[in-house]
Amino acid sequence: MLSIIVFLPILAGLVILAVPSSQKQVIRIVSLLAALAQIVIALLIWRGYDPSMAGIIAAPGGSPAGSFQFIERLPWINIDLGNFGKLNIEYFLGVDGISISMVILTALISAIGVLSSWTIQKQVKGYFILYNLLATAMMGCFVALDFFLFYVFWEIMLLPMYFLIGMWGGPNREYAAIKFFLYTLFGSVFMLLVMIGLYFSVIDPVTHNHTFSLVAMASQENYIKGAILGPDNTLWRYVAFIVLFIGFAIKVPMFPFHTWLPDAHVEAPTPISVILAGVLLKLGTYGMMRINFPLFPEVFHASLYVIGIFGAINIIYGAFCALAQQDLKKMVAYSSISHMGYVLLGLAAGNSEGMLGALYQMFNHGTITAMLFLLVGVIYDRAHTRQLDKFGGLASYMPVYAGIVTVAWFASLGLPGLSGFISEAFVFVGAFSSVTTRNIAIVSVLGIVFGAAYLLWSLQRMFLGTRKPDAAYDLEVGSDGHEHIHFHDWKGKLDLDARELVMLVPLAVIIIALGIYPMPVIGLLTTSINKLVTVLTPVVMTSMN
Amino acid sequence: MHSLIQLSIVVLLLPLLSFVILIFFNRRLPRRGDFVGVGILGTAFAISLYMFWTVIVQTYDPAFKLAWDFTWIDLGNVPNVGPLKIKMGIVIDNLTVIMLAMVTLISLLVHLYSTGYMAGDKHYGRFFAYLGIFTFSMLGIVLSDNLFSIYMFWELVGLSSYLLIGFFFEKQSAADAQKKAFLTNRVGDIGMWLGILILYSQFHTFGYQEIFNNLAAGKFTMSNAWLTAAGVLLFMGCVGKSAQIPLHIWLPDAMEGPTPVSALIHAATMVAAGVYFVARIFALLTPDALHVIAFCGALTAFMAATIAITQNDIKRVLAYSTVSQLGYMVLGLGVGAYSAALFHLLTHAFFKACLFLGSGAIIHAMHHEQDMRWMGGLRKHMPWTFATFTFATLALAGLPLTSGFMSKDAILASAIGFAKVEGGGIYYIIPVLGFFSAMLTAFYMGRQIWLVFFGESRTHLKPAEEHHGHDAHAAQGGHHGHDDHDAHDEHHGVHEVAWNMRAPLVILASLSVFFVFSPDPLDGAKGWFMHMVQTPQTVVGRYVSEHPKAMVTAETALMAEAVQPEASHAITDASHANAEPAHAAAGNHGEGPVFTDERQAELAHGSHAAHYPAIIISSIMVVIGISMALVVFAFRIIDPDRTAAAIRPLYLFSYNKWYWDEMYEATVIRFSILLSKALSWFDAKIVDGIVNGVAITTRNFAFANGSFDKYVVDGLVNFTAFVVNTTGGILRKFQTGKVQTYVVLALLAVVGYFIYYFTKLIY
Repeated sequence: MLSIIVFLPILAGLVILAVPSSQKQVIRIVSLLAALAQIVIALLIWRGYDPSMAGIIAAPGGSPAGSFQFIERLPWINIDLGNFGKLNIEYFLGVDGISISMVILTALISAIGVLSSWTIQKQVKGYFILYNLLATAMMGCFVALDFFLFYVFWEIMLLPMYFLIGMWGGPNREYAAIKFFLYTLFGSVFMLLVMIGLYFSVIDPVTHNHTFSLVAMASQENYIKGAILGPDNTLWRYVAFIVLFIGFAIKVPMFPFHTWLPDAHVEAPTPISVILAGVLLKLGTYGMMRINFPLFPEVFHASLYVIGIFGAINIIYGAFCALAQQDLKKMVAYSSISHMGYVLLGLAAGNSEGMLGALYQMFNHGTITAMLFLLVGVIYDRAHTRQLDKFGGLASYMPVYAGIVTVAWFASLGLPGLSGFISEAFVFVGAFSSVTTRNIAIVSVLGIVFGAAYLLWSLQRMFLGTRKPDAAYDLEVGSDGHEHIHFHDWKGKLDLDARELVMLVPLAVIIIALGIYPMPVIGLLTTSINKLVTVLTPVVMTSMN
Repeated sequence: MHSLIQLSIVVLLLPLLSFVILIFFNRRLPRRGDFVGVGILGTAFAISLYMFWTVIVQTYDPAFKLAWDFTWIDLGNVPNVGPLKIKMGIVIDNLTVIMLAMVTLISLLVHLYSTGYMAGDKHYGRFFAYLGIFTFSMLGIVLSDNLFSIYMFWELVGLSSYLLIGFFFEKQSAADAQKKAFLTNRVGDIGMWLGILILYSQFHTFGYQEIFNNLAAGKFTMSNAWLTAAGVLLFMGCVGKSAQIPLHIWLPDAMEGPTPVSALIHAATMVAAGVYFVARIFALLTPDALHVIAFCGALTAFMAATIAITQNDIKRVLAYSTVSQLGYMVLGLGVGAYSAALFHLLTHAFFKACLFLGSGAIIHAMHHEQDMRWMGGLRKHMPWTFATFTFATLALAGLPLTSGFMSKDAILASAIGFAKVEGGGIYYIIPVLGFFSAMLTAFYMGRQIWLVFFGESRTHLKPAEEHHGHDAHAAQGGHHGHDDHDAHDEHHGVHEVAWNMRAPLVILASLSVFFVFSPDPLDGAKGWFMHMVQTPQTVVGRYVSEHPKAMVTAETALMAEAVQPEASHAITDASHANAEPAHAAAGNHGEGPVFTDERQAELAHGSHAAHYPAIIISSIMVVIGISMALVVFAFRIIDPDRTAAAIRPLYLFSYNKWYWDEMYEATVIRFSILLSKALSWFDAKIVDGIVNGVAITTRNFAFANGSFDKYVVDGLVNFTAFVVNTTGGILRKFQTGKVQTYVVLALLAVVGYFIYYFTKLIY
């Protein structure tokens, strides 16, 4: 099951390879079919998923089978290294509560990205091949339970992303693409080193071999005393934690490693922005929850306060930067930084409420930000500008668009009844309940006000009032006596067309539904979250004594 | 599930249904679907009325209470806490039922009224949709049984007000006002949210009753200061929604919304929410928190009254009078006059809705003229409006025989009692401000009545250019059908409004007569409301160090919370220490609640003792206020303009609303914008600068490395090659291939060796 959902897009990519590049529609439809099939499989996985199984670590006895679900495990690379022993790399997939929601999110956002890519005209064949490669790599990251395999998917992801921004992006695309590429690569180099260190420090309890299995690594009793990252080697464990954390923090992106994000977003075409904000950023925090924290629980505990501080900086700093932006897309990019700060803060709380809030926020931020970027794309397609002061009064002329924008904007500012509110609320509940992060939570609530400030201000500047004198469109009085606007070289429908509605309405429905009754998603997560907190806690207790 | 619970859920969801239908389908329905909104609200009101009949009239039990909840989020078996569920639920007590009836009634009347007032507007159907979600959110607040869901509906009220205040969104001022309202409310909300977090972090629950039980059982482990902080922070939510100092600034601007919305916001929904919320959490407020609340309310009542006396816009006067009256309610809660404050909330809702709808009728008739300076003489043209507006004004001013008299008097009596209990001194500021504001209220309302309804029309006095601007303003604001009339002519088109706008006025005015609430026009305490809504027992007595006896009482309070009046009597009898004051209060008061907490008992007693002094003082104050208004505006003995000129700084201070907006503009807003620009610069230049700097350094290093590689490393290689090459070239010279040369060289070598050997031998 998991293999199919991972490799379906790449299969579609291979099919596209055989289609002549003039057959643009065929290429698009093949991609769409693969994406839709991915959604169907994701739904099947969701249906078949048993929320009472915890995941995170192996079941008693050391086998992951009783704990993880949809497991696929095959030996992949076995090399005898003589004195160093054997190199065992496995093809090891599985899901638990940490990854299940991300799998669903990835399938959903990938499909919406395909629809959003419909308007791409330049080198359609190459675009969709790269896009499908990206979709495979993203999905692979979320289901890989072998660190080496995870790393492979992680690195594969970079390549298509680099070309998709660098070739299909805006005017300054090459700078943005290389910045993104190098920044992430910088992080993953350290990840590689830590990964090797871990391999030689961990023994699989069943086979008694060294292993890359993240499941084995998550249990502290599998670490060898005296090994480089063994339980007694505090210094190196701290170093490993920190460099791993930086590697993931770049992806989040966490201040001060965030500056690649606004550039990448501003230059990337709309669908790539959607993927980037909707899925890729989550890999950073997912990596923390899957790898960084459970592998080094005692260091995690010692760093709660620092992580919380960085979360608060992201929240408030991101909000203030967003307030100052003139470019709508850049504003949304900074809002992403601010909202990912909530995830960090929730993780720093270290308790169930906070962790749950963080994970649920990852899902909600995925859907909400995808919507925000799609909506930015809609207006950019028409006006060829995103400057906030080049509009005004759009609510009168594009009522449907304005209505959906209002839903998305209010979801982003955390309005109750919409999904983002619940996750932010849980983050705060968790962070405040933990004595370590209580003061940070008190400061961070300012983000609620300033988040509302930049969103409402931008809403007002673009949609309310009347057309600004230097707006990017002309005002005309139609034959029926009503006022209309006209974009200079836009031939399509003025308000949202059918394709745009098909992308936006499902997201809006999900956001509203999960805001009213979140259990369909939260119910999948709680057992694993509680397990994760227990995995992190006992060590916390001993290290405190 | 009890049938009343089911009915309350229906009442809650009906307005939401109206919203959903109208937001999507209003254009496809005849009349843009206004009948859907009116019909649904009519149904909701009918159900609420049935509930009111069942609970208030038939049951007539002060301790009536129903609760129902369901698991909304199940967090599973949480480490260190155990199984944890977040519940949502409904609690129905007398207060809830009264509020339900009040909210649905006023919302229904506003709906009905809007079918006339908003007729012909571009977004007519959408307006009713927004009214629906506004009503839904408010009903949610009323029915919530826990802090989390009240916070959710709280914010939804914020959204609804955002949508409705900015209904004429093409107007810049309306768009500004809606943003201001939302953001100001959010500032209050974060305080409220922090208060919720304090309580949750202690008890892992949001439910009121569970929190009260935990508090009463002494399970609050943080310091007492945190408990006071929790109360004050929760109160911040009320400061935002109910427009108290310093967050009142949004409310006057909210007048940008259509007038029916103003009526809804000011009477039934938004501002009432704050007071209602404080009432819900009343039991957990410590005396210190209550003091903050009392002073905040008193200052607000006074400040808003001083502003209202100089405003010229008919709606702005009413807006500031709302702020002032809300100050009374908050003051009332602060001094422990729980029932009186809520009583005032109810009476105020009716007469203030009447005033706003009446002002809407006037504005409608005057073709969107809102400035009282250009009105006058309307009583002849609009007798119905005049009569109802005047009666509501009397109620607001607090004249006997009106509902407002009873509720305001009850609050002021408690304020006097409170000041006595707290030992006088600084605490007398509160009743003094209260009475002084009562006088100001009578004055500015008298002024308003006179300017609007009496004298001769002053339409022609309006400066031309200003008039012009106003026309454009009105045309933008909404097309109300009467624009063909020429407003320049002297009340040419002014006529009484149609029945659908008149009926609400009459209903609301008649609900402001005293006998609706109490048979005795001088004492609201004899009425049904004060009997049915009684002050809850405090649950924080044990945390208050100033009251050592409170330790004993808290436990009894906990048991009394089960709310069996007989049981609480029995327990009180058993605890000798407190039985005496409690009984003293009960004996004097007749039907009042029996308090186990000493302080609460004293307050109840004090308020009862101050009943007649309060009536006398407040009546004198009202008479002074009205006389002054008559002296200035009716008889013109004192010229208002010259008086204003004589005390110009004070006049300007009032006219410019104490400069709150300017102050915020100069500090908070300017600072935020500057900070955002500074941080954005920092981000682009410094943070990203470092990143780019590292990149450039790396690149330069790479180039340098390349050069080193090319010139040094490769140079060494080349140099070695060069040396070898050169040496080889030299050596090659020797290797000629001729035997003679080799022989000569060999000979030279041999000779050389011998010379060396012998010279060594010799020395």
